[in-house]
Amino acid sequence: METLLQIEHLSVCFDAPAGTVEAVRDVTLDLAAGEILALVGESGCGKSALCRAVAGLLPANGRMEAAKLTVAGADLRGLRERDMRRLRGKVVSMVLQDPMTSLEPTLPVGAQIAEAARVHAPRLGRDGARRRALERMALVGLDRPEERYGLYPYELSGGQRQRAALAVALAGEPKLLLADEPTTALDVTVQAQILDLLRDVRRRLDAGVVLVTHDLGAAARAADRVAVMYAGRIVETGTAEEVFYDPRHPYTRALLACLPTPEKKGRRLYAIPGMPPTLMPPPRGDAFACRNEYALAIDYELQPPMFPVGGAHLAATWLLDPRAPRVTFSPPEEEPAGPARPPAGGPALLEVRHLSHAFPLPGGGSLRALEDVSFQIREGEIFGLVGESGSGKSTLAQCVMNILRPRTGSVVYKGVDVWDRSLSRAQRRMLRTDRQMVFQDSAASLDPRMTAADIVAEPMAVNRVRPPRGTLRAEAAFQLKHVGMDPSYLDKYPAQLSGGQRQRVAIARALAMEPSLLVADEPVAALDASIRAQIVNLFRHLQAEHGFTFLFIAHDLSLVRYLCDRVGVLYRGRLVELAPTEELYGCPMHPYTQALLDAAPLPDPRRERQRSPRRFDGADAGRDGPFTEAAPGHFVLGGKEADL
Amino acid sequence: MRAVKKLAAFLLSLLVLSAAVFWFARLAPGDPLVSYYGERAERMSPADRAQAEAALGLDQPIRVQYVRWLKNALRGRLGISYKYKQDVLTVIRGRVGNTLLLGGVSYLLIFTLALPLGAACARMEGRLPDKVLCKLGTLSACIPAFWLSLLLILIFSVTLRWLPSSGAWSPGAAGGGAADRLRHLALPMTVVVAGHLWYYAYMVRNMLCDELGADYVLLERAAGLSRTRTLLRHCLRNVLPTYLSLMAVETPHILGGAYVVETVFSYPGLGTLSYESALYHDYDLLMALCLLSGAAVMACSMLAQAASQRIDPRMRTGRGEVTGRG
Repeated sequence: METLLQIEHLSVCFDAPAGTVEAVRDVTLDLAAGEILALVGESGCGKSALCRAVAGLLPANGRMEAAKLTVAGADLRGLRERDMRRLRGKVVSMVLQDPMTSLEPTLPVGAQIAEAARVHAPRLGRDGARRRALERMALVGLDRPEERYGLYPYELSGGQRQRAALAVALAGEPKLLLADEPTTALDVTVQAQILDLLRDVRRRLDAGVVLVTHDLGAAARAADRVAVMYAGRIVETGTAEEVFYDPRHPYTRALLACLPTPEKKGRRLYAIPGMPPTLMPPPRGDAFACRNEYALAIDYELQPPMFPVGGAHLAATWLLDPRAPRVTFSPPEEEPAGPARPPAGGPALLEVRHLSHAFPLPGGGSLRALEDVSFQIREGEIFGLVGESGSGKSTLAQCVMNILRPRTGSVVYKGVDVWDRSLSRAQRRMLRTDRQMVFQDSAASLDPRMTAADIVAEPMAVNRVRPPRGTLRAEAAFQLKHVGMDPSYLDKYPAQLSGGQRQRVAIARALAMEPSLLVADEPVAALDASIRAQIVNLFRHLQAEHGFTFLFIAHDLSLVRYLCDRVGVLYRGRLVELAPTEELYGCPMHPYTQALLDAAPLPDPRRERQRSPRRFDGADAGRDGPFTEAAPGHFVLGGKEADL
Repeated sequence: MRAVKKLAAFLLSLLVLSAAVFWFARLAPGDPLVSYYGERAERMSPADRAQAEAALGLDQPIRVQYVRWLKNALRGRLGISYKYKQDVLTVIRGRVGNTLLLGGVSYLLIFTLALPLGAACARMEGRLPDKVLCKLGTLSACIPAFWLSLLLILIFSVTLRWLPSSGAWSPGAAGGGAADRLRHLALPMTVVVAGHLWYYAYMVRNMLCDELGADYVLLERAAGLSRTRTLLRHCLRNVLPTYLSLMAVETPHILGGAYVVETVFSYPGLGTLSYESALYHDYDLLMALCLLSGAAVMACSMLAQAASQRIDPRMRTGRGEVTGRG
């Protein structure tokens, strides 16, 4: 195969008020036509900046230097904007993460695709461009393109929008497609479809694809080759099999090790210690050294070169130097386990009875967010609630937490109907202090103008609880220590903390009142894999120690499997299945659960490529069926047992 | 159905406005008789005053007065001006054309100039021309209208003697030719435009700059569209609805600016008239002027809404995005 993209010694810096950020440092890679290269790494590792640099779309404060940067033989360095523009769309093109914002909202999608097609071929004319757009829409799997041509972006679903955005990017038949986290904002079932589409498209157009992602499962599914980035550098590269089955760089190993898998259930999850470094200025030597337990002295001094492992498999770590001592990577799971959990299964702490809610739509009509949802959570239990976006997970959490009054049904907590208007003052107070919540976006859920100490102590202050440790500040210090932060963080503002630290503060705030019920709505979805494991461990540890009941809402199925005792599956506002975790994952009964489990990506390239997920079109959701107990403790909507 | 609803809302708003103005005007301190009887009012005996007040209907409770005014107004009788001893509509009719000319021409100039000016600045964001224009614009917006008026009068009327300093036409040439009108319009119009233009241009610039950071701009540019094309064909389209509704909502702002400028240039328009009617408690005239201005403002915002709906299809159906996490 001919080499399509060649990058040698490419660096990108951004000028920030506080100094220069070296976002991409000395990256060398190449890509053949018809090949998919996954660029894997956590946020801030420079993978997006690299993409932008290749497309010549760096923001005004960004600068790029490279010894070589060619796409299909064309040198992209130092081009004037006008010349670069001719190449964009035709030679190199890009799709972005969020399909909700990456299409122009006020034009029909067809017109947007046609416009992009016409830029490169003005002679097409109106009709020609329209025909080209229809072809492209068919190519990306938007069926019935004639009907869809005139639809506006807001009339399409998330997956369809991403397909339309892909059609815009492919309108000029580019040779190289840069896909920047194209599946991150999508639900798992749609994710798999888009990844398969990328594989299909590159085959048909014989284009090279750079797939930027933080999701190892997505990389395993779609990529032929994988490059792992850390702190602006590529630390390991090779075929998908090489990297996933035989990782050599400690960072790659750690990334794979900190994913929750069923075998690790009940044990502590391996978490990479510390945080990614700041790149202003970048650290000396191997940037990962300080988080690497096998780091050698030289790792702190000198940047390791790319050592060949075999074939095209390269890794940048001094451990591969012939002079390096032999280290055997001990299975990282063998860490001290947390305190043993008391067995769950007391009386029901929280009971949700026939809960329904609908949001009125401005144009009339209403959106059914929840329909007749009933379940119980027992004391001390970790109850997982999974479902895709729009399934009503957050609405349910809000109904449980007295944030949103449900249309019908009731929520009974410790024998008290939380929405009863005639509750006594003492009961209301109990409800307020006894249940606490942690949210997904820690940046938005913490007041930016309050210090960590004030944030953590606020529940005590507003509920006029006498702090058991004397002052509110002492209490805040205690709670922060509890979640693994020392008192030096007391006077920091949320903006001065990293995402993981902010989530710790949010957890400390929730636990300050010693709640019996903790509701966490996607608490780790916004965190990077290495930080996510830290927070998940923290949740497990705290739950075992405090013994609070935990309602854990998430879309990450493997995480829910790892953490929860029982799991409920929500689909379009209905609870379609409810069972003990292993039972649910072992033999899912509802077709939707099956489709959901099938679609969940795993970091296992061979398995990923073989299976084709069962699709679920929603037709047999069993909407009118009863919620029946198909096996002991295993409830399913519609009561189908055919798939068993 | 929708039109009927709109009309009802329009009428209701007018009713509330009329009641508010009616009450506030009468609660304000001052002597309305002065405007009707002139200096004589001050020499009147208490008995004469009472009689005069009764003749104008001012002796009754405000509530009663309002109901009577409303009944008359519904029959199309808006009363007479105390000062001019004429039907208010006749008085207004004589002045409204002048204001429409000054306000309308300035308004059009502001909104047609602000768009290209803002777009040009956004296109060159952060570069020298943008920086210079931003500085100049801020300066122009900060100069008080009355001071600029005096300065312009001093330069162009007193020193250079190029343009007249007051009035709407030359004395004797009632109505005047178009050239004469324009010469009189030049200075006040300049002041109105200079005072407002940058405010809107800057807003357009900032909205466009925000829009240029949107994901769809990146996608379109990655697909090969030029920055200018994206800006003019797509960003501007997304900014226009906000701009149009702003334009409509800000109508009274610009008219208010014109009112001040009118007084400085002794320009015979509604501004000078409103100022006088409020000052002299010329109640009926004030009411008519307020209702006229209010109706104009509301009509403008409704027009703007209709225009926005044409541009942005999401507003047409009345349903926005129905998406949510979880």
